[in-house]
Amino acid sequence: MKKVLIVDDDVDVTKLVSKLVERAGYEAIVAKNGVEGMGKVREDTPDLIILDVLMPKQSGIRMYRELKTEEPFKDIPVIVLSAIAPKSFFRSQEVLAEFAGQSVAEPEAYIEKPEEPEELIELMMKILG
Amino acid sequence: MNANMTYKAKILVVDDDVDTVELLTKRLTTEGYHTSEAYDGERALQLVEEYGPDLIILDIKMPKVDGYEVCRRLKGSEDTRLIPIIMLTVKAKVPDKVKGLDIGADDYIPKPFDYRELSRRVRYWSTVKMEVEERVREIKRLEQELIKSERLAAIGQTVGSIAHYIKNILFGLKGGVYLVNVASKEHEPDSLQTGWEILERNMGRMSDLVLDLLEYSRDSEPEYESCVPNEIASKVCEGLSVKAGEHDIEIIKDFDPSLPEVLLDPKDIHRCLQNLVSNAIDACMFDPSEGKKWVVQVRTMREDDKVVGFEVSDNGCGMDEEIKERLFTSFFTTKEGRGTGLGLLNTQKIVKEHGGTITVDSEPGKGSTFTIRLPFRDVATREAMAQET
Repeated sequence: MKKVLIVDDDVDVTKLVSKLVERAGYEAIVAKNGVEGMGKVREDTPDLIILDVLMPKQSGIRMYRELKTEEPFKDIPVIVLSAIAPKSFFRSQEVLAEFAGQSVAEPEAYIEKPEEPEELIELMMKILG
Repeated sequence: MNANMTYKAKILVVDDDVDTVELLTKRLTTEGYHTSEAYDGERALQLVEEYGPDLIILDIKMPKVDGYEVCRRLKGSEDTRLIPIIMLTVKAKVPDKVKGLDIGADDYIPKPFDYRELSRRVRYWSTVKMEVEERVREIKRLEQELIKSERLAAIGQTVGSIAHYIKNILFGLKGGVYLVNVASKEHEPDSLQTGWEILERNMGRMSDLVLDLLEYSRDSEPEYESCVPNEIASKVCEGLSVKAGEHDIEIIKDFDPSLPEVLLDPKDIHRCLQNLVSNAIDACMFDPSEGKKWVVQVRTMREDDKVVGFEVSDNGCGMDEEIKERLFTSFFTTKEGRGTGLGLLNTQKIVKEHGGTITVDSEPGKGSTFTIRLPFRDVATREAMAQET
């Protein structure tokens, strides 16, 4: 069964998205910040990551960057799911890219909350097949 | 200068010699200036306030307050230091001139003077004064603009944060409704339970947000009442004992029995302690350690008759530097979506309104201590305050 890692500090979101993941026929794994998220990535190598942006401890901005620069994981597709406007997220990635002198691939999709739950299911199925 | 043509500069002439004053005011008036006169230093200072001159012609030797003193006082005050002063000095006495310039006079004219020379200096200095004033006005206008744009930026940021919070709640509500719908269509009691829980929690978050926002925007003085700090603290502990008990967290009360009745806003202080104790319980709940005996300790303290103190400490998860730095910023929360990010900010606001301080000490894995120190206001202080007014 394909594994989907959900990284979000909001318990309601992780509960809800876990349900959606299961309904789509995949296994849900949960982490509540970027540090825990990267730990789960190394442990379980998920097939898809659903990532929040604003979290205490390590934010989604940094986790995304870390993920996309680490060789075995950089091709794992990512759906960013956040109430933050996409342009803020992309701008932060640009800044990090300028700073590090290396840019990373864009996420597979960016969903701005509040999105309809069905959309998220459809999107997951489209990416994972 | 255009300004000179329409605006008549106001000149204050100060000299105890009546003839000099008369001559000067007559000539200056003929040239189109507006004048006023004083015959001693004391009157001169008074007129500076009432008349608001653009330029002062000031003699040194005068009864009561002399010219040096007038000059020193005017140049020493923020309100009057920009008014140019031309001193009238006796020609031969170089030390007088130097002294006048040393204490801030802008120019000097030797006495006896030739009016034509004085006239040029008056014209020069009144022009300078007007240019200075214009620049000061410009700076003030820019300052106002800056304040306004900063305020707009702050409002924009706040509105943005609220919108962000509400978007998260909406996502929760949509998700909850989705799960409830799925449950009713597909007879899935498990989804119904989860969906319903999510709906309830998000409604709770909405009302927390509204209450916290109201408190945050409320701009009011504390309503001081006589009350016993230990009673407030005790009520807070009792109110939260059930929640603490559910998670095997013990609340220990350590109250200073010598604390008398003091003046506080009991509702406000209750809210602060409620917030701190509830945070402390959360900190224990979030602590991943196993087999730990979690304790929240609530202390009240009296430091002489100067300070009433409240201290809430826990041995929960603690905070690292990064979190500590952002503690008192608005809309920052570590509570996995359950906090509005305004609780501590409101606590801090209330403490500040009471003229007190709030400090925090914390170590990851060991726990946190929040200390509130408020000025000691007892009933005697209130009587003294009432008498003053």
